[in-house]
Amino acid sequence: MAVTREQVKHLGWLSRIELSDDELARYTSQIEEVVKYLDKLDTIPLQEVKPIGRKKKFSDLRDDVSIDFKGESIRTSNRKEGFVKGPRMV
Amino acid sequence: METKIGIEIHCQLTGAKSKLFCSCPCNYRGKTPNSNVCPTCSGLPGTLPLLNRKAVEFAGMISLALGCRIPEEIDFYRKNYFYPDLPKNFQITQYNAYGIRSIGVDGRLQYSGDKSARIRRVQVEEDPGRLVYETGSMETSTYSLIDYNRAGVPLVEIVTEPDFTDPKDVRIFLDKISSIVEHLGVCDTKLEGSVRCDANVSLGGGNRVEIKNVSSFADVEKALRYEITRQRTMAGRDIEIKSETRHWDDARKLTKESRTKEEEQDYRYFPEPDIPAVSLGSEFVSLVKRSMPELPDARKDRFISNYGLSSHVSQVLIDNKYLADFFETALKTYNSPSEIANWIVSDLMGFVDERQKGEGSLFAGLRIGPEHIAELAKLVDEGAINRPTAKQILGQIVQTGEMPSQAAKNMDASKIDDVGELARVIDSVFNSEPAAVQDAKRNPNAANFLLGKVMQATKGRADPNAALELVQKKLKEY
Amino acid sequence: MELFRLDAAQVAGGIRNREFSAEEYIQQLLERIEKVEPKVNAFVTVGNKEALDKARIVDKKIRDGEPAGPLAGVAVSIKDNICVKGARTTCASKMLDSYIPPYDATVVRRLIEAGAIIIGKANLDEFAMGSTTEFSRDGPTRNPWDINRVPGGSSGGSAASVASLECAVSLGSDTGGSVRCPASFCSVVGLKPTYGSVSRYGLISYANSLEQVGPIGRTVADVAAVMNAIGGVDENDHTTIGPKPHYACDGRMDKPLRVGLVKQFVQGADPEVTKIIYSAFYTLARQDCKCDEVSLPSVEYALASYYTIAMAEASSNLARYDNIRYGFDMSPEGYEWNAYFAKARSNFGDEVKRRIIVGSYMLSSGYYGKYYLKAQQVRSILRNELKSLFKQHDVLIGPTMPILPFKIGEKVDDPLKMYLVDIDTVVANLAGTPAVSVPAGFAVNLPVGLQIMADEFQEQIMIDAACLFESAANMRRSPDL
Repeated sequence: MAVTREQVKHLGWLSRIELSDDELARYTSQIEEVVKYLDKLDTIPLQEVKPIGRKKKFSDLRDDVSIDFKGESIRTSNRKEGFVKGPRMV
Repeated sequence: METKIGIEIHCQLTGAKSKLFCSCPCNYRGKTPNSNVCPTCSGLPGTLPLLNRKAVEFAGMISLALGCRIPEEIDFYRKNYFYPDLPKNFQITQYNAYGIRSIGVDGRLQYSGDKSARIRRVQVEEDPGRLVYETGSMETSTYSLIDYNRAGVPLVEIVTEPDFTDPKDVRIFLDKISSIVEHLGVCDTKLEGSVRCDANVSLGGGNRVEIKNVSSFADVEKALRYEITRQRTMAGRDIEIKSETRHWDDARKLTKESRTKEEEQDYRYFPEPDIPAVSLGSEFVSLVKRSMPELPDARKDRFISNYGLSSHVSQVLIDNKYLADFFETALKTYNSPSEIANWIVSDLMGFVDERQKGEGSLFAGLRIGPEHIAELAKLVDEGAINRPTAKQILGQIVQTGEMPSQAAKNMDASKIDDVGELARVIDSVFNSEPAAVQDAKRNPNAANFLLGKVMQATKGRADPNAALELVQKKLKEY
Repeated sequence: MELFRLDAAQVAGGIRNREFSAEEYIQQLLERIEKVEPKVNAFVTVGNKEALDKARIVDKKIRDGEPAGPLAGVAVSIKDNICVKGARTTCASKMLDSYIPPYDATVVRRLIEAGAIIIGKANLDEFAMGSTTEFSRDGPTRNPWDINRVPGGSSGGSAASVASLECAVSLGSDTGGSVRCPASFCSVVGLKPTYGSVSRYGLISYANSLEQVGPIGRTVADVAAVMNAIGGVDENDHTTIGPKPHYACDGRMDKPLRVGLVKQFVQGADPEVTKIIYSAFYTLARQDCKCDEVSLPSVEYALASYYTIAMAEASSNLARYDNIRYGFDMSPEGYEWNAYFAKARSNFGDEVKRRIIVGSYMLSSGYYGKYYLKAQQVRSILRNELKSLFKQHDVLIGPTMPILPFKIGEKVDDPLKMYLVDIDTVVANLAGTPAVSVPAGFAVNLPVGLQIMADEFQEQIMIDAACLFESAANMRRSPDL
């Protein structure tokens, strides 16, 4: 399956990663090679196999008890009156 | 032109104590920004979601109340997209494209007479945080302010088929949903932001327009009317409606094109690896049914058949769960359903501050409880006080909180039907109103004036019937 | 006495019996680290002061006759993708340059409760993505046996710190072989437990349906002791299951071990490696094991399945690094949010960026069935094949790595070539079954590891086999450093 520079650029955007021209050039051929290898999966016929994965009993889920976390979860000093200051929206 | 409307309701499970995937308190309102968070709901590296059992139970109740089928196993999916209010830049939600895995599907809710709407699915998911803007507007702020207190609060999303054709029906449906979730005790719809609604509307088989950002159920009706008019107008000019998302502008009361291109999102759904599939088994449905509070319709039917209340009175009582609970508690003290229901519906409601209707318990500003109404009804039934006096007492005790019997004693409100005392009062009135007496002799209806004077003189304590009888008797003697 | 040469059991015993103090021991290790680090670069951070403080606390408990824990005084390094409260945890990435977790990973908490002393955070491939520890922002870790060669990865720092005697044991993480590969390349023991038997709370996720925290040590007994301290269900991780382990390495076995040598693993390996593996095979046969060769046909699809799932999960697990709530110093002033996110995230290294992009591709609209679903199918197929093999065999063996440790820089610009070295290790991650690498010998003075696999939750029999081989092979040695 061919992977184009445009596709890599789009995927970069989808993943919110800014890619330089150099990176786009380098990565495209590397990624194409990897995806070609992963296309090996096409050679397996689609079959009905039970998925692996454990189940959790409803009774083993977490009890609905509220606990206040003691400690600082937000680790940035970019704050204003308690809010986290983020970039502008438009 | 055929109108098709479908709606998506997001309902916070305010009845839960903790968030969906962590133990932070579920109630974030009024807390300082970012004080109701922990490593898990802030999306810190290395944290894992721990599913809240009560939230699943509540979601199961909602599913059953909407006539849905609950699968034997449910699981969760990641909806991947970036946004500053989303701590992990994915939302853990449910998804049915690869198999029925959400908490409820294929339901139906009757909301008005014969009208019903099909429920496509019910799912459990987490709420994101909140974005706030210094200037109040997203467009003009040079930075955003993010508060994660709400991130991780449990939500139930209810999606209907496009079975509505009239915005008025949508409003009735939404009110019914409110009533159901209130009665189930899973969501307090009076809390700000606890219920949100998006709507999809298309005309004559044309493209679907989604309307987001409608903050109240009343606005949903307005927004739908506006949008239908807009689409009709465009169709009339042969302009094609494009499939898009529009936002409801509450200030200008119109729908406008959305700035963010939500429809271009590729959410890359895949099963959440940190949450194993949850086996509910067949016992789950029986467990939920057992712990589920009575639904409003069932309660209304019971009020009518067991208590002999009218449909109208029953409806008023169940429209607000608090009223229905108040009523039934009062009945425990004194079993006189009609009397008590009427006191609540006709008289007590008159004292409720309009403002109070929006928040907290209905009678928060009043200092009385079900026992007060029960006793008041009892006193009237037994003839200890008359109805007008009882109304007076009610007016007093909602402010003082005294028991009616106490208030009555203080007022010396006991009915005067002692013939002797009544006769004295009547004599006194006749003496001071000779002209009225002459009038009354000629015109029997004018006796009411004299009766009024008697009631005034006795400060309303006189038994009107006995008083009238005596007045008429005396007139004959004149 | 050179205390740094002692293994964990010897350290714990020595401190308990007051032959030497924990403080003495830690002091020696810190000196050793200073001497050896310029050559090996196994650590991202070393906690000199904290380690000595903890050592003194252990010594006081011992003096006062208080219980100090089964691993009291033992120095452990923690891979820098496992959270230690109050200590910098970077994942060898700029994206977490200034991140200090406000909580301990469960495995860290349990180790501390057992009395172990954290001496430092070990180097790794950025976000655990790699097989050589060359993709680290803090420079590559070097193989203590030949510092021009790679130590393996992604837990290269963990294995190298143990091999070069900078600490007794280490906690690494294994997603596709990241504990076993460096253990093999550095001639130490590395174990990947059954999926779900050790808590991942506090392990910074790369591919959450595949990875487990795993211990590395110089002996099988040490690795078993660490497993006993950290294993067992954790209420903070809903994917955990199973009782607290009590593994023993005393070589007692009631009946002969049934061993299967996996054809596909040896067929894919270099001749020098194969020679040593067959030698190991015969060593086991001489210990009264019932040995034969077996076939695991779906090995052919294992790498494709592994990388599809790992990259897909990684693309989602790493989405949270937007530098808004934690990360590194970069003011959002002047940026629109999409641009800020994209700029901040451009600070990931090449390999991480590549994997996120491929992962997004795998999950994107239209490709989910073609790649991700198929990859999950392969897991089921592999599991079924393994289950039938385990009906007739207690353990399956083969080389941990198909090649000898190669030169630094050799494969770093060829991602696919790099991925191919994982061929023998990914099977256990895909199936969720346990696997351990034990030193099997040297070829041209470079280490070769023997991989031993068992069925899920059958760690004890796997450890029995490893112990048996370890004593028979007598391969324990340390590099000249």
